[in-house]
Amino acid sequence: MADNDPDRRKFLKVATCALGGGVGLVAAVPVLRFVVDPATRTTVTTPGEPLDLGNVDRFRVGAPPRRVEVIAPMVKDGWTSARDVVLGAAWIRRTEPTKIEALSAVCPHLGCAIGWEGKDFLCPCHDSRFSVTGEKMSGPSERGLDPLPVQIKNGRLQLTWVRYRTGSSSREPA
Amino acid sequence: MIRAFLRDRIPLGRAPSMMAGGASFAHVFGTVLVFLLGIQALTGVALSAFYSPSTTDAWASVAYIQDQAAWGWLVRGIHYHGGTALVIIAGLHLLQTAISGAYKQPREVVWWLGVVLLVLLIAWSITGYWLRWDQAGYWASQVEIGIAAGTPVAGRAIRALALGGNEPGNLTLTRAYALHVIALPALVTLLTVFHIWLARRHGTTPTKVANTAVRRWPAQTVKDVIAMAIVFVVLLSVVIVQHGTDLAPPADPTTAYDARPLWPVRWLFELRVLAGGLEQLAAMAAPAIVGGFLLALPLLDHGTERRPMRRKLWLGALAGLFALIGALTVASFARDANDPELAKRLAKAEVLANRARKLAVANGVPVTGALDVYKTPRMWKARSLFATRCANCHDATSKERKGPVIAPGHGDRHWLTKFLQAPSDDAFWGKTKLAKTDAAMKPVELPASDLADLVELLYAESGAEGIDAAKRERGLKVFESACTDCHSREEGVAGASGPALAGLGSRDHYTSLISNPKSALHMGADHSEMPRFDRELTIVERDALAEYLVWLRTATEQDLRALGPL
Repeated sequence: MADNDPDRRKFLKVATCALGGGVGLVAAVPVLRFVVDPATRTTVTTPGEPLDLGNVDRFRVGAPPRRVEVIAPMVKDGWTSARDVVLGAAWIRRTEPTKIEALSAVCPHLGCAIGWEGKDFLCPCHDSRFSVTGEKMSGPSERGLDPLPVQIKNGRLQLTWVRYRTGSSSREPA
Repeated sequence: MIRAFLRDRIPLGRAPSMMAGGASFAHVFGTVLVFLLGIQALTGVALSAFYSPSTTDAWASVAYIQDQAAWGWLVRGIHYHGGTALVIIAGLHLLQTAISGAYKQPREVVWWLGVVLLVLLIAWSITGYWLRWDQAGYWASQVEIGIAAGTPVAGRAIRALALGGNEPGNLTLTRAYALHVIALPALVTLLTVFHIWLARRHGTTPTKVANTAVRRWPAQTVKDVIAMAIVFVVLLSVVIVQHGTDLAPPADPTTAYDARPLWPVRWLFELRVLAGGLEQLAAMAAPAIVGGFLLALPLLDHGTERRPMRRKLWLGALAGLFALIGALTVASFARDANDPELAKRLAKAEVLANRARKLAVANGVPVTGALDVYKTPRMWKARSLFATRCANCHDATSKERKGPVIAPGHGDRHWLTKFLQAPSDDAFWGKTKLAKTDAAMKPVELPASDLADLVELLYAESGAEGIDAAKRERGLKVFESACTDCHSREEGVAGASGPALAGLGSRDHYTSLISNPKSALHMGADHSEMPRFDRELTIVERDALAEYLVWLRTATEQDLRALGPL
């Protein structure tokens, strides 16, 4: 009988595997490419231009750092868009009438939000401490707090929001 | 050779219906785990009919389940604590298997499947925790993804895949959701079926050496059911005592929160603290070592010896590992329990969570996102503007007050009377630059009835209801004789040296005053230190403040408190 023909059996085995595997592959490739798609693009847009943080007079010289929400006029998140989206927070300190410093509230260690503890900054997740100027004092963070670019324009404070890569000693955009 | 190895370990024949060694409570763990998986499936499907995986809706839908849907708290509580029970009992199952030497040849594959399943169970609970998108789940996800991003070489790719893009957003949640409710359940079910199928074919490992084989039904089954009942009663008790489980405030990317990982990986959190500079290594190496050890155990502890006392080395190592993980977990919880600063921060977060949940029930969560639930109380916008823009100069408690106090009753009859009697009193213009100059308004000295008539006239300007027309009429005459030297009541006409009083205390008047107090219609350029707000605030914001001031006129301190905190 032909069914016992070893060559025929071998051919059938190979053909079955090839056809089955081919169908599987054709089905799997688009699905895999589809699933990794978000990882290959900017799904959440954050504006690169300076954002308005209000009248500069809100910040007094010598006052302790003040937390300000950084709000983007428009953010696209996947398939949605929204106005006035809170991107994160910055800690603002006016050192001189014409000099304002801003520190990102994102902990450079693993990205938690830092808080002001009266004398220094504390990240409550893993207890990294930073001085008022953002230098690392203790804890697992490998670098100090990240300064954010600010400028004063027509009496208003403007800040450029940048999210840096966490968990490294060098400061590079995420 | 591999084929022969697998044929012994994956026997395709019929499963023995007899249990070698007899029925025992030692054999109930597997059945209880299947029971718990069933409960998770049932409650999980029900929860998925409510849950909405998006950054704007996730917290809101969980709060709805917890606080509004009938028995929602119970279903959610059973699902949450049921996950905990699964991991605990899977751990006990693993220990029992190890102690009885049940991982030994030919049951190694059953053991390996079990170890993989335990890891998957933990991953399952972690992805479930993210879905809440409250402060706890959100920050836990950020840290966990942050740790994964520290993986050498593949770190960035892992981060992008887990986040579903460049930043946490809708795609982060849809992915975690797909993993939690579809991919992981499918994988766990598949492996569990294989695990049980194999275990049944190999039969139970006898707990006693004597050969007392019995039928599984009903001798073992009754023990299984008793164990299930005990576990379920304990589970329900915990759920009822905790009224489901907690829900932290909505995820807020700007606010610090004491994020802690879910308890099955809490030992790693503690290990990171102890590891100091080597924390990244600890976070990666420790799970790899533990997992590797568990997988290797059947190969390390080989031979046919099953009596625990003869296998002291490997059982000791396993016991030591479990004790170490347990000790680290306890140490981490103990550290937090003894941190008074942490307790204060957590108490604050709880107050916030309760407020958010109450508001969500009362007002619903805005489609713009769960954080906006805080803004749903009446006049929230105006009150927050007042707090940031006005309170410094106008709040009674401000040390830097420069203007009249603005508080409930501002601009009502009583307030107008007091003001007219002493305009430069501390609560009125007393703190202003104006009060110290000759331009300051002089106290109005009139008989009480004339004063009351004048007050009625001025009060009527605000458009308030319940005006005594006769009094107002008389007040007009008083005004003509006592006030017109400085003030005008004519629409849009400035007085000779004082503000125009047309529409005084009305919403339009306040909007105009806030927009430009230095206008000739109001305080004039020289007399007021109040900045103009038409360049600072939008017309909608100025109008909201004006509406608030009108509301304050007839409000009491109690009304103000009833609006809730900001």
